[in-house]
Amino acid sequence: MLEQLLKKLIKNSAGQTKFVMALIGLSVAIVLILSAVQLQSNYFELLHSKNNQDSIANFLVVNKALTDQNVGASSLSESQLSDLKSQPFIESIGTLTSSRFKASIQSNSSLFPFYTDIAFESVPEEFIDVSTNNWHWDEHASYLPIIVPNQFLDFYNFQYSFSQNLPQLTPQVVKMVSFKVTLLGTGQQTSMNGRVVGFSNRISSMLVPQSFMDWANNKFAQASTKQQPSRIIIRTKDPGNPALSSYLKKEGLITDADKTRFSKYRQVVDLVVNISGITGLLMLSFALLIFSLFIQLTIASCKEEIALLILLGNAPKSLGKFLMKRFFSANIWIVIVGIVVVSIAQYALYSWLIDKQIILSPYISLYSIAAAFLLLLVIAWMNYSSIQKYIRLQQATK
Amino acid sequence: MKLELEQLNPYSLKEKIGLGSSAIWNQSISFDPSTYVKVEAPSGTGKTTLTHLLYRVRTDYTGSIRYDQIDIKNCDDDELAGLRTNKISIVFQDLRLFPDLSAKENIEIKRLLAPDYSSKELIDEMAEQLGVSSILEQKIRFCSYGEQQRIAIIRALMQPFEWIILDEPFSHLDQKNIHHSVQLIDAACKKRNAGMIIMGLNKDDHFQYQKELVL
Repeated sequence: MLEQLLKKLIKNSAGQTKFVMALIGLSVAIVLILSAVQLQSNYFELLHSKNNQDSIANFLVVNKALTDQNVGASSLSESQLSDLKSQPFIESIGTLTSSRFKASIQSNSSLFPFYTDIAFESVPEEFIDVSTNNWHWDEHASYLPIIVPNQFLDFYNFQYSFSQNLPQLTPQVVKMVSFKVTLLGTGQQTSMNGRVVGFSNRISSMLVPQSFMDWANNKFAQASTKQQPSRIIIRTKDPGNPALSSYLKKEGLITDADKTRFSKYRQVVDLVVNISGITGLLMLSFALLIFSLFIQLTIASCKEEIALLILLGNAPKSLGKFLMKRFFSANIWIVIVGIVVVSIAQYALYSWLIDKQIILSPYISLYSIAAAFLLLLVIAWMNYSSIQKYIRLQQATK
Repeated sequence: MKLELEQLNPYSLKEKIGLGSSAIWNQSISFDPSTYVKVEAPSGTGKTTLTHLLYRVRTDYTGSIRYDQIDIKNCDDDELAGLRTNKISIVFQDLRLFPDLSAKENIEIKRLLAPDYSSKELIDEMAEQLGVSSILEQKIRFCSYGEQQRIAIIRALMQPFEWIILDEPFSHLDQKNIHHSVQLIDAACKKRNAGMIIMGLNKDDHFQYQKELVL
């Protein structure tokens, strides 16, 4: 009842058009800001969700870029390693140990003859992307398990087999073949059986278990001095992090494949997010300014009514609450509309990208909703403080 | 609620006060609860100023005004709103009604601040007694000054109070309407056990005053 009378007294005499324009400006600003938040969270979702995660993306094999200057000195120093380890974008690093002895593999069967010299590498087990129960070795083991890069099999099946008139091999067949591994060094020679137990996409080396590598290097290598690693594998949360690729570049390190390709996308996403976010924030501040002026104008145009209402015993606070209700309810609607618009856009984006094998969430993220609430709080605070300020001002002029 | 005035001295009357002898300005004086006080004030002696000071419309004065030890100069917004809603009622000389609201709405907007104290029907009853029933739905700006004065009186009687301040409340009323208004106000004060401070230019015997002062 009292509210109805107050409504009669405190009219929008500042003009409905200005009010509507301030609201429109505020809506656009909110949609822009929410879009920026949503884009960012979409990007992170693409990067981290199980649906999209590229199994090789989080592991990078890194070595020095070979130049005329560092040929023969391509190993990484302790200080370089510890510097790498201390970078915030690197979760862990593993060193690749290479064999320092001569080795060869040779077919056991005359039906399928082959012989080749070969070198091995080993890496801590946690960095291997092949899960197999056979990944262990000791001196009494019946065979040496080996993991082969997938590219090797492809190379064999699609190039080598044709040129040598050999049969193509499936991974299953290769795993069944047993061959002879011969190790040679320091005047000794040993042979053992070997078998391929898996194929790796992550590391392009012939991998053997670390225990075997330690044993063999110890027994057959020329120098027993500890060798610095020249290749390492790093695990990172986000290979698209521009900081990572610029760090690698700065240190003269290169990585196999273009796993840092996300870096470019990331920069584009960052740019879009920044433009949208900054424009949104600018518009928000202007819209808030207009809104605040509008409140000032409304209160100023009813200053006699407000002064008399206070004189009759209305607390300025309760008048403030009444005004807050009038102005702020529109803002709640704006934020709801903003959420709805961004939700629709997100769903459209989802439907569009699903054809391109990119799976996004069809719904907007919790971050966007949290951002919407935050915006609402900012607007509420702004409304409240300008209402209180101008009501007080009316009293003071009385 | 005891009312105490201490060395009250408004800036606007500084020069005049020095000249004459006033029973209020620059004096220490107190009024017991439920006292009827008549302040006789020739033109220019600060009658309306005193009204405004007592209701804290203005604070440009030295000295103090205390209701039950509470100095109204120090009241915050909420305390002041509480005083004006529950303890002190007023009829301004310039009435201070909302010109664009109807007579009834003008009364209602006050009644709704303490809606449980007076019923809506009371408005009609009082309007009947003061002969303004017919204009209740009319916008105030279209009412005569005498009608507006009676509406302002009814508005002041809607709320609970311990003091009522009346600034020349009957200036535009005829004898009959003065008589009815006096009866209404007197009954309202008796019901609340409230005191009254009424300002007038001349002596009168509308109420049985316990104190008559010359400003």
